[in-house]
Amino acid sequence: MRVKLTAASLAAGFVLLAGVGIGSVLIPPSEILHIIGSRLLGRELSGAIDPSFAPILWNLRLPRALLAFIAGAALSVSGAVMQSVLRNPLASSYTIGVSSGASLGAAIIIFFGAGLPLAGLARNFALPLVGFAFGMGTIVLVLAFARRVDSAMQTGTLILTGMVFSLFVSALTTLLSALAREQIQRLVLWQMGSFAMRDWQPVLILAPVALAGIIFALCRSRELDIMTFGEEPARAMGVNLSQVKWSMLIMAAALTGSVVAFVGVIGFVDLVAPHIVRKLFGASHRYVIPMSAVVGGGFMVVCDLVARTIISPGELPVGAVTAIIGGPFFAYIYFSKRGGTRV
Amino acid sequence: MLQLNEVCAGYGGEDVVKDVSLGLGAGECLAVIGPNGCGKTTLLRAIARILPFRGKIAVCGEEIRDMPPRRLAAKVAMLSQISGAYFSYSVYETVMMGRYAHIKGGLLGSQTAEDKEVTADCLRTVGLWEERERQITELSGGQLQRVFLARTLAQQPKLLLLDEPTNHLDLKHQAELVDYLKSWVSGGERAVVGVFHDINLALRLGGGLMVMSEGRMQAIGDPREIISGPLLGEVYQMDVARHMAEALEFWRHPNYRRHLTCSELPGKR
Repeated sequence: MRVKLTAASLAAGFVLLAGVGIGSVLIPPSEILHIIGSRLLGRELSGAIDPSFAPILWNLRLPRALLAFIAGAALSVSGAVMQSVLRNPLASSYTIGVSSGASLGAAIIIFFGAGLPLAGLARNFALPLVGFAFGMGTIVLVLAFARRVDSAMQTGTLILTGMVFSLFVSALTTLLSALAREQIQRLVLWQMGSFAMRDWQPVLILAPVALAGIIFALCRSRELDIMTFGEEPARAMGVNLSQVKWSMLIMAAALTGSVVAFVGVIGFVDLVAPHIVRKLFGASHRYVIPMSAVVGGGFMVVCDLVARTIISPGELPVGAVTAIIGGPFFAYIYFSKRGGTRV
Repeated sequence: MLQLNEVCAGYGGEDVVKDVSLGLGAGECLAVIGPNGCGKTTLLRAIARILPFRGKIAVCGEEIRDMPPRRLAAKVAMLSQISGAYFSYSVYETVMMGRYAHIKGGLLGSQTAEDKEVTADCLRTVGLWEERERQITELSGGQLQRVFLARTLAQQPKLLLLDEPTNHLDLKHQAELVDYLKSWVSGGERAVVGVFHDINLALRLGGGLMVMSEGRMQAIGDPREIISGPLLGEVYQMDVARHMAEALEFWRHPNYRRHLTCSELPGKR
């Protein structure tokens, strides 16, 4: 197991280096490490290094790659938690309405933002803030409604309620789009997800949020393990089900909501990464949580690398790339062992 | 050990279990029988506080209503009817989960030597120690049932609640399980309440028998007295005594005994 864990972590580090180094200008790994070291330690760059590398690396590629890694890690951990809590291998925060809620918030800002009385920081962060608030608002409504119709908040009720709210909120977004057609393209591009033109600010905001969420989920790994066997056995084994379920759902939704707010809707990684991790490292959440972060982060960096280089100088939406690369890879990993048995 | 006073429980505001009162002492077994939908499983769920209930339920003299979940799980364990495994854990990992109620150190608590020892003992008890590294998704229904039984035993409860525990088990393992349960309570500190459909297994458990129908307790006490009376016929709406006698007659029939001794079972001739 240790060998596997080390190999996966090293692979993620290698992918991160590739994500930073590959582009219109190729920066070798040794120079990447030298530039980062010099920057962090406040030293002068060596004369042997092309001086144009430092701003490209520090201002463009490094924040972008780190943002992709953090987003992939947060989405994957969120997906792993949702699948376990809802006991459904296809569940994710998107299933219970986070992305549709965030999309509605984004649509409101994109279509009517110019008319809102916002200034300075509020204007800069209006899109992510409102996107996050609407995503979380949708989840809170879903949970409250599910609890009202089924006090035990059983998994089936939650998923169905999430889907109903998700469709309803998506319909509102479509209505708004029909009323403000000139802004539709901007909304569609936002919904496809992108890491382009991101500086250090979203990295510095998302990193602590993602880290806190991952640590919180890791601390609950024992309960998550037990909950995969169903609510009745979990209660009988002493899990405080309603408390753990609420906190885990809110945490997973907050992780997804934060990512969606900054980079748009990027699907598939939250589904694919946890399944690949369970296949490689087993189902224990002691491994599933941290390795979902590592594998999901690495996977997202690869997808972003492909998205920005394959039709350079143009760029593909990263959400499309995650599905195109992830689909066949997922099918290979999922069905290649044990004749296709369920994870 | 277990005291129920006028317990009612159900789903969606409708009582499935109605006014059940009973007492069970340490070292005793109680087999619960009754037709489908009569409230047997609901009664176990209420005792394990999986379902909300009205009335009073006390275990070891302590009312369970306000007991913290882990404290309750260290006293009462329940083996539910088997449900599939969605994610693939090893047999050992699955049984170790039964130690959750005993693990100390809060969120960061880890397994102690005692947890490992109890897990190993429980695996040996159900005959799955050699299979401990296997994934539970690779097991048969009967093996999975034994894994879940080991996980329930790993809770080291005072009161064991078993909902049709012999489902999926072959004949040998059914008999072994019932015999094990008898020895498990024989120390005089623990008790078992088991729901059975097989009256023979319920009798083999050797303790009291409780008959339920339409959510109410119809009888509780000595199994010989209950099965010799008319109650079972009324509850199951069939001639239970004749059904049992026919089965016995079949076993005693000389032709069948000859088949057994000559291995000339029907279909093999």
